Formats: sequence, structure tokens, C-alpha cells
Amino acid sequence: MYHPHLRYAKDVRITHVFIICFRGGAELLFDGVKQHHVTLPSQSNHWDIRQLLVWIKDNLLKDRPELFIQGHTVRPGILVLINDADWELMGELDYQLQDKDNIVFISTLHGG
Amino acid sequence: MPVNCSSCEQRRAVLRRPKTGHSLCKDCFFHAFEEEIHHTIISAKLFIPGEKVGIGASGGKDSTVLAHVMKVLNERYGYGLDLILISVDEGISGYRDDSLETVKRNQMQYELPLKIISYQELYGWTMDQIVKKVGLKNNCTFCGVFRRQALDRGALMLGVNKICTGHNADDIAETVLMNFLRGDIARLRRCTAITTGSEGAIPRCKPLKYAYEKEIVLYAYFKKLDYFSTECIYSPNAYRGHARAFLKDLESLRPSSIMDIIHSGENLSVKEDVKMPTQGICTRCGYISSQSLCKACVLLEGLNRGLPKLGIGKHHKLHQKLISQEPLSEHEERRLKAVDF
Amino acid sequence: MKCKEGSAVLIIRVGDAFCKPCFKEYFVHKFRATLGKNRVVYPGEKGLSCNAPKKLRFVPGIVFIDEGAVCGQSWEKRHQIICEVQGVLQQTRFPFHIMPLEEVFSLPDSILQSGVSQERQNYKQAVDHFIGLQQTHRDTECSVIMEKMSQLKTVDSAVSAVSDRIYNCAEDSRPQGAHTQKLIELFDSVKTQTAKFQFLHMLRNHLILHIARANGYSKVMTGESCNRLAVNLLSNISLGRGAFLPLDIGFCDSRNGDVAVIRPMRDYFLKEIIFYNRLFNVSSVFTPGIDTKAPESSSIQRLSETFINKLQEDFPSTVSTVYRTSEKLNVSKTDVDKDTCLKELCLLCQCPLDTHADTASAFHATLVSQQLSQKVGLKTEDSGKPCCKEGTCCKGQEYGDTGHSRSLQAASIFPWLCYGCRLTVKDLKTLNHLPQYILHEADHRTHRCEMRKEIQEFLIEDDIGCV
Repeated sequence: MYHPHLRYAKDVRITHVFIICFRGGAELLFDGVKQHHVTLPSQSNHWDIRQLLVWIKDNLLKDRPELFIQGHTVRPGILVLINDADWELMGELDYQLQDKDNIVFISTLHGG
Repeated sequence: MPVNCSSCEQRRAVLRRPKTGHSLCKDCFFHAFEEEIHHTIISAKLFIPGEKVGIGASGGKDSTVLAHVMKVLNERYGYGLDLILISVDEGISGYRDDSLETVKRNQMQYELPLKIISYQELYGWTMDQIVKKVGLKNNCTFCGVFRRQALDRGALMLGVNKICTGHNADDIAETVLMNFLRGDIARLRRCTAITTGSEGAIPRCKPLKYAYEKEIVLYAYFKKLDYFSTECIYSPNAYRGHARAFLKDLESLRPSSIMDIIHSGENLSVKEDVKMPTQGICTRCGYISSQSLCKACVLLEGLNRGLPKLGIGKHHKLHQKLISQEPLSEHEERRLKAVDF
Repeated sequence: MKCKEGSAVLIIRVGDAFCKPCFKEYFVHKFRATLGKNRVVYPGEKGLSCNAPKKLRFVPGIVFIDEGAVCGQSWEKRHQIICEVQGVLQQTRFPFHIMPLEEVFSLPDSILQSGVSQERQNYKQAVDHFIGLQQTHRDTECSVIMEKMSQLKTVDSAVSAVSDRIYNCAEDSRPQGAHTQKLIELFDSVKTQTAKFQFLHMLRNHLILHIARANGYSKVMTGESCNRLAVNLLSNISLGRGAFLPLDIGFCDSRNGDVAVIRPMRDYFLKEIIFYNRLFNVSSVFTPGIDTKAPESSSIQRLSETFINKLQEDFPSTVSTVYRTSEKLNVSKTDVDKDTCLKELCLLCQCPLDTHADTASAFHATLVSQQLSQKVGLKTEDSGKPCCKEGTCCKGQEYGDTGHSRSLQAASIFPWLCYGCRLTVKDLKTLNHLPQYILHEADHRTHRCEMRKEIQEFLIEDDIGCV
């Protein structure tokens, strides 16, 4: 697959170990589990959030994917924090994951 | 690509503000968020020094942030308010139990007194029992009507002068949209008012009226406030769900949309010749009502008579019979008994 | 079914089936009834309209604005569409005007000044007065048009800046290449699809207003259906234009004073119109717009359309409920401060400005947020009062994170815009591509405001001197 962010030597395999958290009711879509320690399969280039979402959908999401993902992005109303900063400041879907990153998804849609 | 805070220009920004597009660091965000609520309170003259103010507390994000910020601002600016948390227990097992625990923890954390009023003691029915009678289709009508009165009755018991609730900017914008779509012109006129119900009832106000849901959630997250989040287990409102989804889509397209909708709502004007319901008083319980019986009393009467459909839809003609405790005709009974699950 | 004889061809509401002749009768009756009950069109009056069925008691003309340049069409494609449109319009035998959107670059500055409206008399008097006027120069239809045009020309020669030639199929009617380029640049400088829609709408309105004025039309009719109005209502609320709903979607829009916009089709469901056109062979031309084929989340307008349509599927009363809500709204009476210049109308949409709300409002809450989110140095001293009376002190900051020159530029235009149009202008990369008549009018207003302020200061000083 062509990847625009390919900047590293092609033979370096990159593995990621990091933490994904679900809060604010988003955890309900993940069997109520709030924190996941995740190791992503290695691939020849950096993982970005766009790819991570697909991976979450295929591997972690338990039911009602439409309540978490809409189109190619997270459903409006779910906030994404990358290392405790708004993903809007980090390039959103294009952010390249770093080792030990902490990704938090907080739903604003549950309860008042 | 870390972005610097647009206010202090030194620390790393942690969020982009939907209202203005600015990026703020944690400390500048806390400051701005709290000051804005202070501005809302001062500019709309929400409180008078010495007042006893009840905070409607559900254990959810909005009321938790409201309680926290009210506490902070009351001390910082010397509002001189006597704050008290009021919680309503609808009697929904598995939902309310947990959130009430959260409210109890909040009480300890913020050192504020707490009063819990239950549907059971006010009406003799819990929501669990009501759902058994009316099914899942109309239970939100009961819950909404009962909750509104419950907060008022609780406030009355405690001698509270004002109630403030955690409605945020997203909620107000959503209500504007909903009232349009439903054609509810009377509510459309009232729904952007920051203080409501001043005649007869205890006034209610919304200090978070201009605070975005996104910022409330992030404020709670960064401040590590303890809140409870789950959907009510009894079917969420489909229509409201549509409106909410639309609002969130708008927000991601143009983040100021939520404020823009509130601006629209604040600047609407209803034709003078449009009939508005006149407010009176319920002959049974004394609560404000546009009919001779308030909605809660009709719903309750329906439950007690075993005619759950009585309060759903309009049956004003039957009010006189209900007031005089007369039995209904067989035909009327048959119509109101049927429940479609 | 009314006649209980013919076979049904369509159902409007459940249980309301029509045969072909009954439908026609119903449709035409509705049109007349709408015009009749609203009492704004006088017999014999001239009105611009897009499509008019049946015999009318007024004299219509038809206008078509060619927006092809904005929709990325080549001149060849546009030319082909214009020829088709012309063919259809010729069949109506009404006078018509086909004008390219490029003509906005030739509009006179005066277009943004509101015209003088006649004092509303009662309907009967107005009709008598009008018929009286008509009698004086009733020749042929055409001569009436010419008559009025020449009158106008003597009054304001600037009006004729836009050629009133009929823009027809001939190749030489092609708009100036430079103007096409300018129009494309203008739309390229708009960052969002939402704002593009708004700009197109505004420029089109300015041009139609000009055509109406230049040709002596006192009314402009537009063809929005009930469905379209429900969508427009929702998107206008979302765009912060709540104060202007009665003008933007009501039956009669009198914001321009001398030329009123009328929406006589607002009582019809889209389905009725489509069936009418289909059953009675009303020919139409499909012209792609700026949003044809755009995804549903590409703009606020598009999102609103998708939302209303989906809701209508689930709750079939949606459109009619929204429509009825709109009937109950009024133009807000804003108390205007006599000392400031804010009694002006919005520079772009020409609605009364809605930006002088009190401090407890969404408008002010946003200004407070802006100040609290900026470097301390930029804040004004009194954060409780974020905005001076005229709303001019905050104009630079409202532009957010942009360069100095741009915010200076914005400063010259922002005070003259309503809340909604400010949002639209914020989505512009630069103001440089705006047509001159807009920038000139903004300068003119700024200048006048400054002068007024100087005079006032002078008077106040004088007062103090007297004491």
C-alpha cells in the first residue's frame, strides 16, 4: 500500500506498544473495559490514527460499530486525546503513533 | 507538532476551543472556562447575595462540573451563596443507584450538603414500577414530567430560592432545533432564556448555557472530576437522538454552530397574534399548569386508576371528571387502558 | 378524490387522491389563493418570476442567472445550457432576462443602499392607486417596460452600468473573460462550501435586485417549495440567521424596500410541483449547482437537507410542522441606538443588524471567550464589557489567528455585517476579491460613521463649554 508518510528505511519493522482508554460511556462499546494495553502488529511504516481506528474496529470493538466510527473517522461527539492533548492539535487522523503513546477516547454523548 | 497556548504563548496547548478556534494550555483553559461562567452569572444577574441555591445533581458530567465550578466561583468572587446539591432518585435499578453513589462522593469532595428526593416518596411509584405498567414506549414522558416537579418539590422542602441545572450550550442548541422540528412555538420562545419559571415556581437557571459540552467533558477529565456516564437503560428518545447527531455533525463542520444556533434562538421573535398558553395553577397540587390539572397529576391519576394512557396525548375534557373523582365511562376506560408494548 | 370519476394519478396526503383534472384545478387554485390571501401583488403589476402557470392578473417577466462559472463549467457548457433555457423561456411568451453572475462585477455601489418603500396603504387603496398608474401608460406590455426603464435611467444613470441587453444565445454575449476569472478567484478564496453557498446566494440576490430595479419590476417571485423552505429554515438557524427567518423564508420579503421578494410556491410540497410539471409537460432544464454530487456532509446547507429528508421519512409530518412554525415568526424589533451607525442594514444580506445584543447573549459570550483565549496584551482593560457600543473595538480580534493586515481589512467590513454574514466573511481568505460595490459601500459607511462621531464629539465639547 502506498503511504505518504513513509520516511524511514523500508526494512525497519516498527512495533507499537501503547495504551488506549475509553471513557465517558465509550467503554460500553468495549465490554465496559476502560483501559487496553495494546501491541500493534509490525508494519513497514508508521501507524497513524486512521489505521488505528480500523484496527480498533476489527479487534477491540464489541458491538454497534456505528456508535464509534462514522465514515473513516470517529463519530462526532467522541473526543480523542493523544497524550492528554486534543487530537485536533495533533493532526487528527494523520497523527503518527509513537511508542508508549496514550490514546483516550471520551464520549460526550452519554448522560448529563 | 506541538501547538503553543494562544493565551500564555508558553505552555503546550491541550485543546482547541470549538467556540473560537483558539488553542489553550491546561491552566489557561481552566481559567478561561471558569471566568466565562462567571461572566455568564454576572451579566445575566443570576443570583443575589445570601440566596440559597439548589444545584440539580445527577452524577453526570454536566452537573458534576456545575457543582465544582459553582463552589469555586462562590469562593473566588464571594457570591455569598448557600449552595446545596439536590438529587432525584427515579427508582431505576442499575442506573440510578450507581449515579447516586457518584453524587454522594461529590458531596464529600465539595463539602456541600445533599438532599435526595425519590419518586417513590413523592408519587408512590418508582420508574421501574411505572415501566412495568406503561411499557417502554411512553415512559420518558412520565420520567420527564415527574423529574421536573421533583426538583421543585425538593427545593421547596429545603427552602431554596433558586435552582441551577447543568444544561450546557449543546443542550440549549438541541432544544432550539427540537422545538422547531416539533413546531412548539411556546417552548421555542422560552427555551433560550437563561432563567425560567419565575412566576409561581422556583426560578431555574443555567450557568453553563454558553459552555460547550466538549469543554465540560475536558474540564472534568483534566480536573479528574468524578462523574458517572451511562445512557438511561429505558430507551433513549429517538427523535432527540436524531437532533443530537445532526448537531454533532454541524459542530464538526463549523464548531461555532452551537453558539450560532443559540444566537438564532435568542433573536427569534414570535408573532404577537400567536396564542400562548396561559399559566394557571393545578387544582390538586398547586403546581403551575396551563390546565386545571397539571401533567404530573394526570399521569399519576392514570397510573393509580390503572389507565396509563390518560396522560399521554390530550384528554383535557376528562379533567373535570378526574377532579371530581367521578368514574369514567366504559368507552373512555377502554380507550385509555390499551398499552402497546 | 374530488370528482369521484377520473382515475387517481397521485396521492398528496394519505387518503387524498387526485385525478389529473382535479389536481390541476387544485394546484392552480392554491396558487391564486396564496397570492390572494397575502395581498401583496396588485393586478397588472410587474413581477419577476421563474415559472408561472395559467392566466395571471399581473405582468410577469422571467429572470435566469447563469452561475456556470462558479460551478466549474466551461463556456461551451454554459452556452449550451443558456440556449436550452432560452428555448424554454421563449415558449412562455413572457419577457425574460438571462444574465451571467459575472455581472456582479459591474453592479453600481447604490445596489446596497435600501430603496424607498411605499407606505403600506390598505389593499384596496393600493390596488386603485396602482390601476390608476397603469392606465396612464398602458400601451403594449413591452412599451410599459421601456417606459419604466427610461424613467429609471434619468433618475440614476449608474443603474445602466449593467447592460440591460438581453443576454442570448449569440456567442458575443459571452461575459468578459476578466470577470469570469475574478468570479472564480472570489470563490476559490472562500474556504468552506458552507460559505460558498452563502456568497452565491447573496451575489445572486444583489444581481436580481439590480435587474428588477433596472427594469422597473416591483416584485420578484422565487419558486421555493415547502420542502425547500423547511431545509432553508433549518440551515438558516444553524447559520446564526434566526433573527431573519421571516425575511429569508417568509411569503413576502420586503428587506429591500422598493423591490419585494415573494415566495408563492411555499404552500406546495415538492412532490406536487414535480407531478404538476410532469403531468402537464412543463419543460425544465437541469442545471448543475455548486453542490451537485457533493457529499452530504460537505456543507451546513447540505447537511440540513439530508437531515430534513431523513426525518421526513421517519416522521412524515416534519416538513409541514416546520413550515407551520415558520408562519408564526416575526422579524425581531431591535432597539437601535440612535447615537451609533448600527441602524444600518447588513452590508451583504441587507437584514437589520443583530449584533448589538446585551452582554448576556451568545454573541457577547463568544467575544468574552475570544478575549480570554488570547495573549493578555491584546485584551481590553474591562473584560466585563468586551465590546464598545459600536462593536468596533473587537472587530480585529474576531478574526482569530490571522495576520495583521487581514484583520485590519476585516475591521473595515465587520461592523457592517450581521452575525451570520460575519461567519461567512470569516471563511474568506482575503477580502481582495470581493466586488467593488461591496468594498466601496463598506468604506462609505465607515467614513460616514467617523464623521458622525467627530460631529458628536464636537457637540459634546460645545455642551461642556456652555456649562
